[in-house]
Amino acid sequence: MVPISQAWTVASYVISQKLKGRKRYPLVLMLEPLFRCNLACAGCGKIQYPDHVLNKRLTPQQCFDAVEECGAPMVSIPGGEPLIHNEIDQIVAGLVERKKYIYLCTNALLLKRKLDLFKPSKYLTFSVHMDGLKEDHDTAVCRDGTFDIAVEAIKEAVKRGFRVTTNTTLFSGANPAHVREFFDEMMTLGVEGMMLSPGYTYEKAPDQEKFLHRDQTKALFKQILQNPKKSWRFNLSPLFLKFLQGDLDFECTPWGSPAYNVFGWQKPCYLLQDGYVSTFKEYLESTDWDNYGNKSDNPKCQDCMVHCGFEPSAVDATFGSFSGFLQTAKATMGV
Amino acid sequence: MPADIKSSPNPHRHASLEGNVFTFQSEADRIEGIDKAFDYRGDVSITLRNEQVEGYIFNREPKATPPRIQVFIKGSEEPRIIPYADVMAIAFTGKDTADGKSWDAWVNKKEHERQAEADRIKAESEAQGHL
Repeated sequence: MVPISQAWTVASYVISQKLKGRKRYPLVLMLEPLFRCNLACAGCGKIQYPDHVLNKRLTPQQCFDAVEECGAPMVSIPGGEPLIHNEIDQIVAGLVERKKYIYLCTNALLLKRKLDLFKPSKYLTFSVHMDGLKEDHDTAVCRDGTFDIAVEAIKEAVKRGFRVTTNTTLFSGANPAHVREFFDEMMTLGVEGMMLSPGYTYEKAPDQEKFLHRDQTKALFKQILQNPKKSWRFNLSPLFLKFLQGDLDFECTPWGSPAYNVFGWQKPCYLLQDGYVSTFKEYLESTDWDNYGNKSDNPKCQDCMVHCGFEPSAVDATFGSFSGFLQTAKATMGV
Repeated sequence: MPADIKSSPNPHRHASLEGNVFTFQSEADRIEGIDKAFDYRGDVSITLRNEQVEGYIFNREPKATPPRIQVFIKGSEEPRIIPYADVMAIAFTGKDTADGKSWDAWVNKKEHERQAEADRIKAESEAQGHL
């Protein structure tokens, strides 16, 4: 479970946005300080750039400016692989100082070696990319041995008192029984919780055959998540888990997880690249939001049920009305 | 417009534009060519009115006044802004980094490993008289 202080910070932030009458507000800033990665995963369309672009880095100051401009209470640091960034420790320290809840998303290949750069804090969580049991994970990331390295790093980080979650992307062909077994194994490592999402249909990803369509996503997650074990803990809104299983429907909230990277503020969301602007205000005001989401005719949005678009919708629903809150309470208690 | 579109070995993957050259005869041509270059995950060579530059087009703003692109020129830190009207031609000269070749290599490697394992088991079974 997330610490009470984090839950309280997020709840009070969302309620304050509601009270201010803000129709569009960010919940998690997706801060990509670089695109360079040390893996080339089959389902990833994030890192296909020429070398001179992959060599670009956001400076710590650029990161701090983006975080302050955005104002979201949580900051996710994906990439690329953030631990490749030479100043990642300064970036994290600066965000902790600003009392932002940080999810540093890593494949953990460098984590054990770089743990000394960081101090355990309630504000810092290592979100380790784990796409399944050993064979499934190594296949998903296209490198043998990666699962074992990540498991070692998770154990070490947990031992040293860091908050650690796992971050799992599922694709067509995932075996529900294997995934459930994988959950058991991750919980035995002592992680705080697990994050789940179907993969996004990246046009630039190498493997175009494994992306899930919407109905497939719901069927797969229903199989995986029905009769959940008491030992499983998810670092996700209960309503998002219901949404993944097709029990609830939400419209996408693309501005809920805005992305900032070496190109600027990415329109309209973390996954689609329809252009860039230089300020967060311009991002909110100049994006033609009607062109996106499941209800739009945009084919790029039709199969998307990805965490970064719909978790903010679930959180907004939770705090948007008493019935939403009640629904969340019931889902939490398994009623 | 391009004379030749290369096909990708993976039928599910988009055909790569690597190696193509777009020269613009009309405004519609230019808009289409710039859209394709914006979508391309490699460097392009851009012929301007008085010079040629090579870099990565990371943004295009067709509704700006005037319409413009933003390019990271190779070797330069700051992005350069170029009006649409100055773009005479675009050549897709850089490697298409989204061509999926690393994935193809991984799949081939795993297939070879599986075949080698099957061959080894077969040889062992034959040696033990089970086949």
